[in-house]
Amino acid sequence: MTSPTPPHSPPSPTASFYDMSDDEEGEYNTIRHTSSGRGVKLLYTKSKVYVHPTPSAKDNIPGFIALVQQKGPVESNDARPTSSSSARSVHASSLLLAWVPESSLGDSYDTYVKVDLSDSSSPPRQSYLVPPPPTTTTHANSVGTYAFAVPVSEIYSLLVRPPSIGWWFGSLVANTKAGESFPALFFHDSECQSTILQRKKLARESFDPFGDGGGMFWGGDEVLRWLKRYVNVERSGAEPSIYLIDPSEEDKVSFGRKATTSKSPRNSTDGGASSSASPPAAKRDGGMDPITKTLKEAKWNFLEKLSQVTTFTRRTAQAVAENPKVPPQVRRLIQNPEVQVLQEEFDSAKIYLARWAMGIQEQSERERNQRIWTANDVLEMEESSVGEFEILDMEAGKLSMSDLRKPVTLKEWKDFFDAQTGRLQITPDEVKERIFHGGLHPDDGVRKEAWMFLLGVYEWDSSTEERHANMNSRRDEYIRLKGAWWERMIEGHSTAEEEEWWKEQKNRIEKDVHRTDRTIPIFMGEDIPHPDPDSPFADVGTNVHLEQMKDMLLTYNEYNKDLGYVQGMSDLLSPIYAVMQDDAAAFWGFVGFMERMERNFLRDQSGMRKQLLTLDHLVQLMDPKLYLHLQSADSTNFFFFFRMLLVWYKREFEWVDVLRLWEGLWTDYLSSNYHIFIALAILERHRDVIMEHLKHFDEVLKYINELSGTIELQSTLVRAESLYRRFQRTVETIDKKDNFPLPPAAHRRISSTRSASASPPPKTTWAASGAASTSTGTDRGKQRQSVGDVVAKGIGADKEKVISPELRQLLSREVEKVSKAELKEHGGGVGGA
Amino acid sequence: MSSKKKVLLKVIILGDSGVGKTSLMNQYVNKKFSASYKATIGADFLTKEVVMDDDRVVTLQLWDTAGQERFQSLGVAFYRGADCCVLVYDVNNSKSFETLESWRDEFLVQASPMDPESFPFVVIGNKVDVEESRRMISSKRAMTFCQSKGGLSYFETSAKEALNVEEAFSAIAKQALAQEEAGDFNSDFPETIPIDLKNDRDGCAC
Repeated sequence: MTSPTPPHSPPSPTASFYDMSDDEEGEYNTIRHTSSGRGVKLLYTKSKVYVHPTPSAKDNIPGFIALVQQKGPVESNDARPTSSSSARSVHASSLLLAWVPESSLGDSYDTYVKVDLSDSSSPPRQSYLVPPPPTTTTHANSVGTYAFAVPVSEIYSLLVRPPSIGWWFGSLVANTKAGESFPALFFHDSECQSTILQRKKLARESFDPFGDGGGMFWGGDEVLRWLKRYVNVERSGAEPSIYLIDPSEEDKVSFGRKATTSKSPRNSTDGGASSSASPPAAKRDGGMDPITKTLKEAKWNFLEKLSQVTTFTRRTAQAVAENPKVPPQVRRLIQNPEVQVLQEEFDSAKIYLARWAMGIQEQSERERNQRIWTANDVLEMEESSVGEFEILDMEAGKLSMSDLRKPVTLKEWKDFFDAQTGRLQITPDEVKERIFHGGLHPDDGVRKEAWMFLLGVYEWDSSTEERHANMNSRRDEYIRLKGAWWERMIEGHSTAEEEEWWKEQKNRIEKDVHRTDRTIPIFMGEDIPHPDPDSPFADVGTNVHLEQMKDMLLTYNEYNKDLGYVQGMSDLLSPIYAVMQDDAAAFWGFVGFMERMERNFLRDQSGMRKQLLTLDHLVQLMDPKLYLHLQSADSTNFFFFFRMLLVWYKREFEWVDVLRLWEGLWTDYLSSNYHIFIALAILERHRDVIMEHLKHFDEVLKYINELSGTIELQSTLVRAESLYRRFQRTVETIDKKDNFPLPPAAHRRISSTRSASASPPPKTTWAASGAASTSTGTDRGKQRQSVGDVVAKGIGADKEKVISPELRQLLSREVEKVSKAELKEHGGGVGGA
Repeated sequence: MSSKKKVLLKVIILGDSGVGKTSLMNQYVNKKFSASYKATIGADFLTKEVVMDDDRVVTLQLWDTAGQERFQSLGVAFYRGADCCVLVYDVNNSKSFETLESWRDEFLVQASPMDPESFPFVVIGNKVDVEESRRMISSKRAMTFCQSKGGLSYFETSAKEALNVEEAFSAIAKQALAQEEAGDFNSDFPETIPIDLKNDRDGCAC
């Protein structure tokens, strides 16, 4: 866990502070801030409360949220009420809710830390005075600085969002009576010592199995608790995340009365053990039963909010209609509403429009990212790229995220190794983490070396000498394998069947090599005559690299006879060859790559089916709404991801991006099936367009196919990682729940295996859960469910979510390989039966 | 019968890899030819609006698929509802001609049209621009095959030189439209069976 890194180390609490009895109450020492003649009383404070001015975590500003008392019109000689009734005697106008950045505190930092750690339900007995924070009632004036202190009497409401799977940090936004909103304050609970201590205490006091050591208690709970000591805090019935401060009768009515008056957001904070007896509904509201809460939040409601696409479409429809570049069918569609009706059954114009609306949305997001995050942003984009960055920041450890995302240069790579022996001096995982996040430098030749490790040609623990020996023997072996088919080509094959297969494979390879990556310089030329005058390409000529490609693929065909060459493999080899520019090295790198890709090429397509099924399960779990939509569009076969999964996005990204993507995937740093999360990231990126505009399988397929060449890699990688983390947490949450049996699971039903039929299953099937797949030990036969099977269901906690074996495998870093026997049986080459 | 609704005709193009399926489609729809289309992975389609003889406008949806046979097994989703199937081979590659029959059988299994006997197939021998000496399959042999399969339409084309491509696809459109209308008639049949809840009371006596 991250420990707080304050500019000064927190002072140890003074003994007197704890030893004081109630009698001494009135005689406490007044610690006055030395550099200031006048101070305000720091009643409560909480550390590690951040403002996130930009989506980038590196811009986050740590600070304290504090409740301070200033000398008000009503002079109260005791600002430390011990009960809420006496608390009310403090005038709300004398209380300020403030946020101050750590950097502005100077000497008073220690005082803040002390008060933060005072670990008491009432304010410290000692009166801690700090310099008054600048009082502001409006955020608009404070350009450039986010610090604020607003009289509690000026606060109209607080928008309180507890942390959740979706929204990593809990947040709080103060809205003033004047209608202003202050920047959202994010509670980095895991860095906040006082919150950590309070959690531990809570866990000790009330046994709450779901609390996981009081894990779901968060900083925002505390702020509400402070305020409730002094003012009336009423939760809105209509909008549960809104807490009204001293609301008028009118406000109460308009926000719905139902909410429990002035109730702590977490019962256990008030009543300790009594929380278990409180009705479930009350608990769910603010108490954040982690299951309910996480599953509720996992609905991805933020994504729904992004569906302003249609507004954009409408607004700019006129502009489109006048744009001469727009295809005629689109113009017609816009100009003539009748056409729209006629074309309802199918129209490609709709897809065009959808994509185009996406572009506008992207632009607006970019603009939005320039701004500070205020209440409306939090409401509108409950989840956003900010959330993603936050999660990533958590994991970054020693290096900052931007350092981590710099490509590994040849120099950095060389420094990983001992200069003498050439052995790795750090752990392979550290190297993998760097490559996973930063990639390898595209131009300095580091790939040539590093890819050999990533592709399993070199062992991570080898020495320079061992690698030399390794490569030498591999060169010999390559020449031997190549010689074997060469010889047979001249002397003939043992059987007619083999001869036939060979001829067919040779033709296939020849055809495919001549149409693989011909826009890449090394594959471009046709400067040498074709060696075989009978080849269909005899007239067009060839080049030395194309011939090398053919030889390598023919050698692979020889090396792995059970499978042989299958279309798509040339796409997988060409980047490796282009980087290595050495046929033997590229060949063995390709062999290493193919070990994990083999399953995709089996004759029975079982590997591809399984991956499409895994994606199906993943979307069901992570985005049930989108899944339902895809189901209604007959698209849960996920066939439109076939190409991406088969050749690892080779056709979707630009060449340079493919290299970067692949080296990251090869690390298996988070999962050996990380490419599935890339698919999910791409799908989620376009989810709103899909849900809004695409109603049929053909529309979805066309739309996804045409993403080719338009996908931005960097943001896709960030999104994929965030999705992976979220997936991991969802699995953990569900597992945790499974360990603590809840009241009889009325919804638990065993799903019947559906056929691969594309027709949507009845709604009830969707609601049922695949309890059959809870056990990870199900035999392989059972795992082979047809694409579209329903496994993890339900949105709320009242519905059951189950992690299928396919999903669980996504957490593994172990590469799944096809067994020799399976390859022989399903490979479709000549080695088998 | 003729509704105002725009007619969408779904056409599946099959054949060995490298016979020119993608090229034919692109020549017909985009009037373009490229020698270096990448091998098709998965499936994709192009659409084109066609004015029929009776001035009706229909939309052709042409589905392009991967040629290597092992990739066909996942294609069920888009075979269904096809109105016509185009079988393409390369006249300079006898193997691609020999597999036509299995492509046809595979299609019938996967698409399972209501009446397999009358389902329209169109055969295209592509790459006739290549010098005659390389040609492996004669027109006569191809036509004999088409005859034996119940009189399938046959065209010889060059996607590269845009030879006969338009003609082949307008025949495809016609056959697809005829099939679609026949299908419409069939699927309309159940709708003529009156399902009237008010009559339930009367019928309940039995």
